[in-house]
Amino acid sequence: MTNFLFFKGGHIKQLGFTVLMFLFSAYMSSQTTVSGVVSDGKGPIPGVSILVQGTKNSTATDFDGTYTLSNVPENAMIVFSFIGYKTQTVAIAGRKKIDLVLIEDLKTLDEVVVVGYGTMKRKDLTGSVSTVTSKAVTQSVTTSIEQLLQGRAAGVQVSANSGAPGASSSVSIRGISSINSGTQPIYVIDGVVIDPNANSNPYVINNINNNPISVINPADIVSIDILKDASATAIYGSRASNGVIMVTTKRGKKGDLALTFDGYVGWQEIPKQLNVLNLQEYGNLKNTRSKLGIVEKDATFIRTDLLGEGTDWQNEMFNQALIQNYNLSASGGSDKSTYFMGVGYMDQGGIAVGSSFSRFNLTSNLESQVKDYFKVGLNFALSNTKQVTTLNDGSLILTALRQTPNVAVRSADGSFDGPDTDQFVQNNPIGLAFIRDNNNEGVGLRANTYAEIKFAKGLTFKTLYSLDYGFNSAYTFDPSYTFGQIKNVNRLGTRTKSNSKNWIWNNVLNYTHDFGKHSINAMLGQEAQENHWENLYGSISGYLTNTSTDLALGDQNTAAVNNHSLSSSLSSYFGRLFYSFDDKYLLTATVRRDGSSKFAEENRWGWFPSAAFAWKVSNEDFLKQNKVINNLKLRMSWGAVGNQNVPNYAYTSTYNSVATANWGTGLLASNTANPELTWETTYSSNIGIDLGLFHNRIELVADVYYKKTDDLLNILALPNFVGISGQGSTSAPWYNIGDLENKGFELALNTINIQNKEFSWTSNIVFSMNKNKVLSLNNESGNYPGKVQQGSDETVITRTAVGQPISQFYGYKVIGRFEKATDFYYKDAAGNVLPTALPKDMKISENGAWIGDYIFEDSNKDGVIDEKDLQYIGNPLPKFTFGITNTFTYKGFDMSIFLDGSYGNDVVNYQRRWLENPRENTNLLDTALGYAQLGLIDPNGPNDYRNVQIVGGDANMPRIAASSAASTSNYRFSDRFVEDGSFVRIKNISVAYNLPSSFVSKIGLAGVKVYSNMQNIMTFTKYSGYDPAVGTLNNSALLSGIDNGRYPSPRITTLGVNVKF
Amino acid sequence: MKKIHIKRIFLFVALSFLGSSCNDEFLDVQPNDLITKENFYKTEDDFKAATAPLYNKVWFDFNDKFYYGLGDGRSYNLYAPFSDYIYPFADLTETGLTGPLVSAWGSLYNVVQQSNNVINGIEGSDVSSTLKNKYIAEARFMRGTAYWYLASLWGNVIISTNPADLVQNPIVNTNPTKDVYEFAIRDMEFAAKFLPETAPQTGRLTKYSAFGMLSRLYLSVAGLSDNPNSGTRNQAFLDLAKKAAVKAISGPYKIMDNYEDLFKIENNNNTESMFALQWVPNGSYGVNNSQQAYFALGSDITGDDAAYGYWTRASNDVLYEYETKDKRRHATWMADDDYYAEISKTTGGYTVNHANTFVNVKKGVVGSTKDNAKISKQNSALNTYMLRLAEVYLNYAEATLGNNANTSDAIALEYVNKLRLRAGLTVKTALTYEDIRHERRIELCMEGQYWYDLVRRSYYKQQEVINYVTGQSRGVIVPITYAAATNTVSVDPTRDNSPRAIGAIDTSIFLLPYPESEVIQNPLLSAAPVPYNFKDPKITDLFN
Repeated sequence: MTNFLFFKGGHIKQLGFTVLMFLFSAYMSSQTTVSGVVSDGKGPIPGVSILVQGTKNSTATDFDGTYTLSNVPENAMIVFSFIGYKTQTVAIAGRKKIDLVLIEDLKTLDEVVVVGYGTMKRKDLTGSVSTVTSKAVTQSVTTSIEQLLQGRAAGVQVSANSGAPGASSSVSIRGISSINSGTQPIYVIDGVVIDPNANSNPYVINNINNNPISVINPADIVSIDILKDASATAIYGSRASNGVIMVTTKRGKKGDLALTFDGYVGWQEIPKQLNVLNLQEYGNLKNTRSKLGIVEKDATFIRTDLLGEGTDWQNEMFNQALIQNYNLSASGGSDKSTYFMGVGYMDQGGIAVGSSFSRFNLTSNLESQVKDYFKVGLNFALSNTKQVTTLNDGSLILTALRQTPNVAVRSADGSFDGPDTDQFVQNNPIGLAFIRDNNNEGVGLRANTYAEIKFAKGLTFKTLYSLDYGFNSAYTFDPSYTFGQIKNVNRLGTRTKSNSKNWIWNNVLNYTHDFGKHSINAMLGQEAQENHWENLYGSISGYLTNTSTDLALGDQNTAAVNNHSLSSSLSSYFGRLFYSFDDKYLLTATVRRDGSSKFAEENRWGWFPSAAFAWKVSNEDFLKQNKVINNLKLRMSWGAVGNQNVPNYAYTSTYNSVATANWGTGLLASNTANPELTWETTYSSNIGIDLGLFHNRIELVADVYYKKTDDLLNILALPNFVGISGQGSTSAPWYNIGDLENKGFELALNTINIQNKEFSWTSNIVFSMNKNKVLSLNNESGNYPGKVQQGSDETVITRTAVGQPISQFYGYKVIGRFEKATDFYYKDAAGNVLPTALPKDMKISENGAWIGDYIFEDSNKDGVIDEKDLQYIGNPLPKFTFGITNTFTYKGFDMSIFLDGSYGNDVVNYQRRWLENPRENTNLLDTALGYAQLGLIDPNGPNDYRNVQIVGGDANMPRIAASSAASTSNYRFSDRFVEDGSFVRIKNISVAYNLPSSFVSKIGLAGVKVYSNMQNIMTFTKYSGYDPAVGTLNNSALLSGIDNGRYPSPRITTLGVNVKF
Repeated sequence: MKKIHIKRIFLFVALSFLGSSCNDEFLDVQPNDLITKENFYKTEDDFKAATAPLYNKVWFDFNDKFYYGLGDGRSYNLYAPFSDYIYPFADLTETGLTGPLVSAWGSLYNVVQQSNNVINGIEGSDVSSTLKNKYIAEARFMRGTAYWYLASLWGNVIISTNPADLVQNPIVNTNPTKDVYEFAIRDMEFAAKFLPETAPQTGRLTKYSAFGMLSRLYLSVAGLSDNPNSGTRNQAFLDLAKKAAVKAISGPYKIMDNYEDLFKIENNNNTESMFALQWVPNGSYGVNNSQQAYFALGSDITGDDAAYGYWTRASNDVLYEYETKDKRRHATWMADDDYYAEISKTTGGYTVNHANTFVNVKKGVVGSTKDNAKISKQNSALNTYMLRLAEVYLNYAEATLGNNANTSDAIALEYVNKLRLRAGLTVKTALTYEDIRHERRIELCMEGQYWYDLVRRSYYKQQEVINYVTGQSRGVIVPITYAAATNTVSVDPTRDNSPRAIGAIDTSIFLLPYPESEVIQNPLLSAAPVPYNFKDPKITDLFN
């Protein structure tokens, strides 16, 4: 990219001159034909673009590196360009044959990759590392950096847990290697570790809106390096089991002040609406339900044919919303000191009423070589985020779908209306969104300062102290209101102040030495870190008005206060040795030892070693002159990494305070201690290949890996009779519960398909495949249930069991429908007529099992449908995922199209259990009207199952039943609610135009780019819900692929401009 | 600064850090928001703190919905056609997936296991055994009560005295119903022996509470035999029930003069209250009494949108049960035109104003925060009665009646008539089972009791109870009008009956299904029970 711009810029500057030259030469000179061979010392280069400067006359070298260019003025200049090489301009000076040796552009080959506690040249890497550059930021609408990784880095799977502004994503690197204990990778931002798992403290768990990574401004990022295999991650030891994401932010560059402004404005909208009942349909269904005795007759629905459409709540709740983002940065420096400063502001409105996210960022860094042997530096990043979630994200979609069309948003006088009863109805969400307060504001400070001293040639010592402070305030206020019959007079306000203080101090001694063909880099380090979090909560009610909401204005007699705090610490020692022989054989070995405060003294310390070997085959003599292969590296690695994400004090018994009415504070056992608790360890092996063909026109990186996680940390799955569920229970103990494995294959392919003067087309394909399997579980039942609570219904949705991948959907299987009386019986192999298995405690009757009810599979053949017939009914884990980016440039235009997709995964559309059940009191999906309609075969006959038939409705829907038992049975969790979640999505299209520099320089600027991005443009899928990419529920790895009313990701279109001064 | 100096300083720092030994002190972090085992169970104050939550939080999920959903819903005092925490029980259609059933099972076992934690914690302490027994008795009272519920509802259940054993292996068999009752009785007998004569703090248990509870437990188990239609109860247990009731009545408890006063916040822990759950005014979720939110007829009562009781109504069956002058109706149910001075005080009290075609819940409904600052959203601040003296009176009468068709025992009549007089009714001169059943139902209505009365009857007169439940006509909803002044129900012929789909009424209704997720995790739950091996000797000197 840089090359390209450089080349073009140079070209345009000379445009005026060359046009003159051309005119002159056309008059003066004769034409000639030039030919020759282009090579790079190793051999000829095909596809080199050759252009007569100032003309459109161009060609490219063929496979032998030869070219012929005719009709060239004898005194013209020819430009040779090829990606990865320096562009050269050669005067013909009357020659007919010009052979040229292109010089490699070392900038790309010496590309530096950030690894733990240091950097390495990409060519020296022995481990598996993927890199995503800042280009991905400009080609998408990114509000939080983890969103960049999906489809752009092999082996990384990202899905947004919610489409709400500022919400978190689930990131998994090479499969899920932990069951419950924090499955998110850690982020190392300029050396500061941010652990999204640790930040989910026990008092704010399951808050999908709480995304610790969202404080970072994507515009400040230079590159993201994803460390994937243990060789790369082991240096982060105890916290690296889910992978490590290294984030490098922009640094100052030597030179004059470079000032850049970037800004865009965009529009967001909901990509899809679901079809729900309109007022007429709702009224008709309610009449049907009242005939069955399910509800009372509703007088307003006597003549439904006179009714209109009613309120479309999806329309009311989802609007077009604005997104805007502005960044200004300045950098520069002298020979000794460099600086960078940036200021950014992002404001994202929510497509749903009452939600938004805004962020203000201030960043700067300074580095100064104060002595020739002594360097100091400072990084500083301040963020201020504000998030509004007036309506609880979890209920937002449900409210939009369930609110009935007979409720009006506003009454005739413009005030908010509500339902005409306060029973079994949804409140007016629009009204609530307008009057209720629920927002939070965070100020985050991330800073580090370091000093590096050079003792002797190659021997340096660096000490770095970094801190990450967060100050958060959450505000809620429930005002008084009257919406229809719903009345609230009790005003309630709460304030929560929490702050976190994390610090890390590390000291690293580094030694590099080259002698002969040997090259050594040794590193030895020590690190101490401490995390502290505390909060203060207050609530009050009895306010006199809705206007000023500080706690001071409440009734002090109703005040309540609370406070918690948490601390943990980690002490570590580590070292790394890199050895290279003749730039052919590379060896990296690391070891780390960590001690964690989260385990009992005797289980506190863990060792995390790794080793990796790489062979640069292309540097061997037999490949050096190869015309096709210009780079071939084989990599092998093995290593161990840990996981320590358990609550503090899980190893000892603890007691929580419980309020009493008259007796002071009570204490209740709050956990079940497990003094044996220790590290979870993941052992992983990796074999990889890096291949460059045709002078890197084709670059392939492929890896296969095997990871085995031992001593999985999880809360032991226990039945409730152990006293572990609900209020006043002890939490089940944390245990090292078993082992699992992940194995997979991943591939990244970069190709330059077309490359010439005016047009280029490059492709980037990323493909990841992972297979997960649980190897052992030490609890007696050998399985872990994943439960979902909906109202008073708690259902096991997934099972994690030995021999299966984790989090498999688990439920009943529907094998048909009772269509006619004979379906209640079947013939077995011996010809005996047997009754079809009916649900437990149900008999053939209208209030029991009846025509139109589902037939469930009696998997254990015991003649009754009960919990023993539960079986695996789907897999939320994809067979493979992929991302394809195609980038085209034509003159000043630049366009990229990014597709991502997933294949072979199932999604549970969980709300269909209620929204498709015609018996429910809420508004419903229109598919609910497809219930099986029953009629008598002989109209004069009895209402006996032998005289009942299905006369209409959808062929796959059960009947509507007067009895709740039949409805509960038909709508039990079954494969009916499991859908194919495979999809292909046009995720991003970005178009940019760089204004000609001749024009730009006239107005005194260095560069102007205008651009437009479109995101989430179109999704091809069979999934019937809003969006098949659903992430995990409640941040739990046991609840993957469950869509329980997830806020859909918006479709976004932006227009922006980037100006360099 | 000289180059050599800086280098020396850094070299020193570098070496000292890299060479420092593993510093374990840095890794010893002490919590500030928790107490760890090492610092607890040392003194009597610790014991008090440990037993206090056994009066509220551990019962929360039980109290929230199941207390009345099962106790009053299943016995058809309550009719709530759209509240899925009541109608599955009233319609006899509950399954192992029914939410409140699952959470009540969990809650009762929380009571059991947290009591076990307290018992085991105190037993491990170094104080005198007298002191230990006093607080162990309190925890065993709780455990025994929970096991009485478990035995009454699920029959065969797992008896546990230490959750740690189940953590190691949760795949265990159940114990038979009679062993579970025996276990509960032994807990309660221990409590009766070692609890103090007077409550050390207002609202705490005394030995008389335990005797009162024992009278209930003995009555339950008296009818239990292999033949559910034996028609007779074990006289030894009937005698014990009577003795226990006598002991309980001899304690400091006295019945309140005015029935309605029992259900006012200011009368929490009144003289009649022998065991009540102690909810915390303005307390956070888990120590609040959320029942008002489910009962209140509309948000004009609670002052907030937590008022879900418009469709939670008295069944016709219970309304027919009230005698014309019974004051208890007004304190238990609110009908159209009823007036309550304590609700909406600022506007001069609350008069129920809707069609006279239905009747809602009053007991447990107390108003808004404007009426009493102790009330907040989803928190009525009312104690929940688990045992009050009136019940012990009725237990005495029932034990005295025993296997006879009727009794005119003077003491039994005195107790029953005390309650009847308080309710504004005439006295009885003889008592039949039907009289006692009626009195229990009305006196303790909406106190989560009536279903357990029916269960206990079903142990020896199962078919009679099946016929009784059938006679409640749960499947046909007959429209009525109700005259509040005279407690009179009239069928409204202008409106049609509507059907209600209910489950089969047979012998299976007396036991609840185990929660499905529990059976999945412990398949032995549905296997045959194994007898429990009692370790401690039975207390024999209780009634000497």
